[in-house]
Amino acid sequence: MTFSDETVMAYADGELDAATRAAVELAMASDPDLAQRIARHRGLRQQLRREFDPVLAEPLPDRLLAAATGNALAQAHSGNVVTLQRRPMRQWTWPQWGAIAASLVVGLLLAPLLRRAPTEGLGIRDGKVLVSGTLAHALTEQLASTQTADAPVRVGVSFQSRNGDYCRTFTLHEQNAVAGVACRDRDSWRIEALAAAHPAASGPGVYQPAASPLPPGIEQSVSELIVGEPLDAKAEAAARARGWRGP
Amino acid sequence: MEENGIRVRIHQCKQPVSPSDLSTELVALLPRLRRFARALTRNPHDADDLVQLALERALARSQQLRPDAALAGWVFGILRNAWTDELRARSRSERIFAPQEAGQNVGDPAAAVQADMLCVQDALARLPDEQRVAVALVLVEGLSYKEAAHVMAVPIGTLTSRLARGREALQALLGAQD
Repeated sequence: MTFSDETVMAYADGELDAATRAAVELAMASDPDLAQRIARHRGLRQQLRREFDPVLAEPLPDRLLAAATGNALAQAHSGNVVTLQRRPMRQWTWPQWGAIAASLVVGLLLAPLLRRAPTEGLGIRDGKVLVSGTLAHALTEQLASTQTADAPVRVGVSFQSRNGDYCRTFTLHEQNAVAGVACRDRDSWRIEALAAAHPAASGPGVYQPAASPLPPGIEQSVSELIVGEPLDAKAEAAARARGWRGP
Repeated sequence: MEENGIRVRIHQCKQPVSPSDLSTELVALLPRLRRFARALTRNPHDADDLVQLALERALARSQQLRPDAALAGWVFGILRNAWTDELRARSRSERIFAPQEAGQNVGDPAAAVQADMLCVQDALARLPDEQRVAVALVLVEGLSYKEAAHVMAVPIGTLTSRLARGREALQALLGAQD
């Protein structure tokens, strides 16, 4: 059996229907020439990917981040951990200036992180990070003591912050995980810090107050925020019942 | 190939796509847009200029985006059209002014080809634009034939024939190295 160049190409690209695919595979077994044509097609794809895939890992130019967010302010920033509301800001001599700058810069700081983040649950609006969708629901409803291992969001520790808000650490699982700390802010969740995380295997349904493998930057944020001990399973359930409002 | 296909979607709510949602999605797409542009233009600076232009156009035209539409395909299409505009402008200016950077981005059959020296990017730059776009969408970006045909606004048969010819030419150009 002979196959046209386009059929051979479509086979190499995984574009054939099942019947034609089977015919090609059958012929390939006894036709080294055909096998070689297919291998050449695949080799070309690999060669191109080797050439261009490294672009994906390059740092994103600020001007493009600014263009994507429609934001004219472009400041170079690097590092994985983005602390959005840093404590030192409270001692800042010009608090207003600091707040304005922070809200402007947040979107750009976060952009490199969000490009690896799942598109559901985190977004930027008016220069602020918003929690929505899956993540907001999990933060409000999910208990660390009862969550399933395959949940898209894994809640870690819940605790009270110095100003009385309830805060929770979380990991968003998808291709690339993102970990963070969110604190309750009236009826929504406010992100305090975010960092890229590697998904970690953890036992289903096991409550791990402090054992969740969070990126160091997130652990540091927690230790800056926390007052007292993390909530145990009972206190966590009670806080949820109160809608994460102070006792 | 699945993971390289069009995966990013505007979430399926009924409201129009808000600019901030679009921005978040565009940021997520940025690495791929840059890779696609790099395959088209070869020159990294030109590639980023092209991405910037596509981002600006995408934001300006966000009204055109249906909430359930595949965002990646839509933006790839905008970038590809921006590139076509750029090629036309270059060809116009080459007619008006003396050619300066001949062969920089368009196939230049007049130039002596040192085939054994061709790298992937040089080989790609020698393809006719429509073949290069087909190769970039399918082989570099991992789009399906259907998705790539949609981006190029051509029937699938046109896409496959451009892809086949582009591939053949590339293999010939690169094969000379062996």
